[in-house]
Amino acid sequence: MKDDDQKVDDLIDSLKQSAPAADVSAKKRAIALAMAEFDRAKNQASTSTAEIIEKKSFSFQGFLTWCRLRGSNPQSPHRSDTMKMPSKKMFIGGLATASVAVVGLIMLQNPNSPFIDPQPTSLVIEEDYVAPETQASPTVVTEVKGDVQSDEMVVPGIREQIAKADVKRSSSQVVDDSEEVVVAEKPAMTREEFDGRMAELLKEQKSKSSEKKLADQWIRHEAKQKSQVDEIEKELAINNSVEEVVVTSADKTAAKPALASAPQPMVAGVVAPSDISQSKPEEFRDRFEEFKDNSVKAVAEEPVSTFSIDVDTASYSFVRRMLNSGQLPAKDAVRSEELINYFDYHYPLSSGRKTPFTTTVNLLNSPWKKGNKLIHVAIQGYQLPAKEIPQSNLVFLLDVSGSMDEPDKLPLVKQSMGLLLDTLRPDDTISIVVYAGAAGTVLEPTKAKDKSKILAALNNLQAGGSTAGAEGIELAYQLAEANFNPKGVNRILLATDGDFNVGQTDDSALQDLVERKRDKGIFLSVLGFGQGNYQDQMMQTLAQNGNGTAAYIDTLSEAQKVLVTEATSNLFPIAKDVKIQVEFNPNTVSEYRLIGYETRALNREDFSNDKIDAGEIGAGQRVTAIYEITPKGEKGLLEPSRYQASSAASDKQISEYAFVRLRYKLPKEDKSTLVETPVLVKAKESNAAVQSEVKFGVAVAGFAQLLRGGQFMEDFSYDDVIKLAQENKGADEYGYRNEFIQLVRKAKIAK
Amino acid sequence: MDESELIRRAQAGNADAFESLLETRYDTLYKFAFKWCGNKSDAEDVAQLACIKLAGSISQFRFESQFSSWLYRLVINCAKDWQKSQARHQGKNIDDIHQTGNEEEKEGHENLANTNPAENRIYLQQILQLLNTMADGFKETALLVHAEGLNHAEAAEVLGVKESTISWRLHEMRKQLQVLGLSSTLNEVRS
Repeated sequence: MKDDDQKVDDLIDSLKQSAPAADVSAKKRAIALAMAEFDRAKNQASTSTAEIIEKKSFSFQGFLTWCRLRGSNPQSPHRSDTMKMPSKKMFIGGLATASVAVVGLIMLQNPNSPFIDPQPTSLVIEEDYVAPETQASPTVVTEVKGDVQSDEMVVPGIREQIAKADVKRSSSQVVDDSEEVVVAEKPAMTREEFDGRMAELLKEQKSKSSEKKLADQWIRHEAKQKSQVDEIEKELAINNSVEEVVVTSADKTAAKPALASAPQPMVAGVVAPSDISQSKPEEFRDRFEEFKDNSVKAVAEEPVSTFSIDVDTASYSFVRRMLNSGQLPAKDAVRSEELINYFDYHYPLSSGRKTPFTTTVNLLNSPWKKGNKLIHVAIQGYQLPAKEIPQSNLVFLLDVSGSMDEPDKLPLVKQSMGLLLDTLRPDDTISIVVYAGAAGTVLEPTKAKDKSKILAALNNLQAGGSTAGAEGIELAYQLAEANFNPKGVNRILLATDGDFNVGQTDDSALQDLVERKRDKGIFLSVLGFGQGNYQDQMMQTLAQNGNGTAAYIDTLSEAQKVLVTEATSNLFPIAKDVKIQVEFNPNTVSEYRLIGYETRALNREDFSNDKIDAGEIGAGQRVTAIYEITPKGEKGLLEPSRYQASSAASDKQISEYAFVRLRYKLPKEDKSTLVETPVLVKAKESNAAVQSEVKFGVAVAGFAQLLRGGQFMEDFSYDDVIKLAQENKGADEYGYRNEFIQLVRKAKIAK
Repeated sequence: MDESELIRRAQAGNADAFESLLETRYDTLYKFAFKWCGNKSDAEDVAQLACIKLAGSISQFRFESQFSSWLYRLVINCAKDWQKSQARHQGKNIDDIHQTGNEEEKEGHENLANTNPAENRIYLQQILQLLNTMADGFKETALLVHAEGLNHAEAAEVLGVKESTISWRLHEMRKQLQVLGLSSTLNEVRS
């Protein structure tokens, strides 16, 4: 590593070397060319400042000017030349277009206009879902909606235009110096809005004015504009529920004080300074923890296998995404246990809260190695009845950094949160914290019944800036603590595409924070979005230490699965620190291998140590672990030990393959409970339905191992996976299993 | 006559003022362009482009920032435009870059002030090549801070981003260099 550092230093130092002196002739040539250009520019530009401002800043105007100049006289394109007929046509045409645009804008500003969709798209969800509470006070709700709408509809359109203009300007022209970030005081307009207004006004102006006296008009317009700005300020003031906070580089703390202060009217828009040079991340930046497949162990040497359960599903979604785009996922992106645990197996149900789950052990022949057997351990969590579901205090911690500005990121986050909102009960509390260049509270703790307010806050989010993730996490914890619900579930839902690149970026420091807060009762779950910069390892670490799940959301239907169908599992833990220990019987088993859980391995002594953290099980959740064993007498992969004498075994000792121990704690307890189940050589067969579920799980396990290189798979192929999965698809209510089969087919092609 | 006075005059249309401004500034423009391109002829092209651009845009300088920062921005934009047009015309691949690098080395490494110019030159080629593969914004950050010796705040001003972004980019660049540069290219050079 030292050596590596040295090499990087060498590389970087090479930048410091001085450049060779400039060639004199090249210099002369360059200066001569520049002088010629200078003269030309001098002649061409009538050096009126008004013109310069106009040309630089507004693409429409540039366009119109361009039309006109071309029309007038290509040889001497002075703007004072008399206008010729063809250009007049263009001008009149432009005038007509501009008036249409003005009419259009007026229409858009009117919320009753027939031209706009009565609901912005993301509000449509809400329309479908009418909660009883909403019905109770319909008038209030609609009023609020109206406000939100009218502000929403006007601004984004203009912002887009301006954004386009900005980008164009910076790439081909010298960056405009006036681009300093303006810190808008609370009631004032944001810079973008201001620019937007200016552009709009100027367009009007353009259509009316003749080509002279531009500068005068400019001044007059500024005055006029000011009055318009005042009007808008008034609007904002009246509309008390909608304010704008601008998080800027100059004022990092702008958004922070909202936390400490008394419940304020909500803050509806956080606009981070857009950072044009913050560009698309490169593909290779997806980061996964490296790990090796569990190796085959000799029972004689290491009879005990211990691991923590893992209910994450992120890996499956990520694999699906890669396969859908025709690529095989990186080996490290495939975590077998997460693929297996993705599916909603119907294992025998648990009866009550006291024993939070049932453990079912099945024994079957290994489909990929003759003579081997698979021990399939299935844990089914107890499903909370609706009335027992605790209240929840959720803090959404959303990444709105520049990298989130892609269709599968922030927009999907908004939709997902909207979906989750529908599954919450009216009394649950929600707050929203965002982070980009700085962290800010967007929504003070609000009851879920106040849905329009929450949705408005969500819909106002925009992406931009760098990623101060750590600051965001701290703020989110502060909010969760401020609103701590001792009886309910306190959880932070972090939605991000990866990076925590500003501030506390050290993984282990963050992990400590998450751990400390977990012990105080605030849990953390992670929802991953997007691709290209996905920091899988970080997400896993955070979720594992925060007693939460890590899910990866690549499509709206995945959001539906994680946040609606399985909301209770993901939000309400029924048992924590669930560890599994399997002791194999050296008299009947010669070798064993655990499929997956490589990243969750525990030491043997950790099993009974209640201080050691492990995975959680949510309400109704199921967890599957599969061991592959080689019974005594079958040919395994390891050579038999020459010196270890086999002792004569009693009857009891040859009737069992293994002994499964499972420890868990109830959510509020600190002492663990032990559950033990033997695995008999002549195991009683479960009923056909369960058998079929087990086999499907085995198919998934096979697929995962093939994706990871298939070193233990002999001649088991993707076709065998498809066959096994097809036969055991079951009812497949949500179509997940069908999708799986499709994925296997894609993997077959991709390889 | 001090520089801001020269700039003012050039903005007013005084050609002599503009010329003397170019005389004094050309070397800085060229040197920065050299760092960007890694070889002489390309650097001359970029510097020339920047001078021409400067002629057209000098009037837009509003004394709100340092003239030097503004110039850096101008050269960066020119270099990027130039790079884009190069890619379009030639589809330059890695071998070409190597070659131009080698030719350059023959013709003019006596100009380098370093103790081991040849090795340094190869390193420069390496790092530029790697920086080109990184996300947008990394190359200029690296050059401004490491090659030009700007501090983070100054580089942030030039690039119009926050200081923390600069720090992050440098950190990230180092990490990526470790992953990218050392595994493949360096070994190749050493062997």
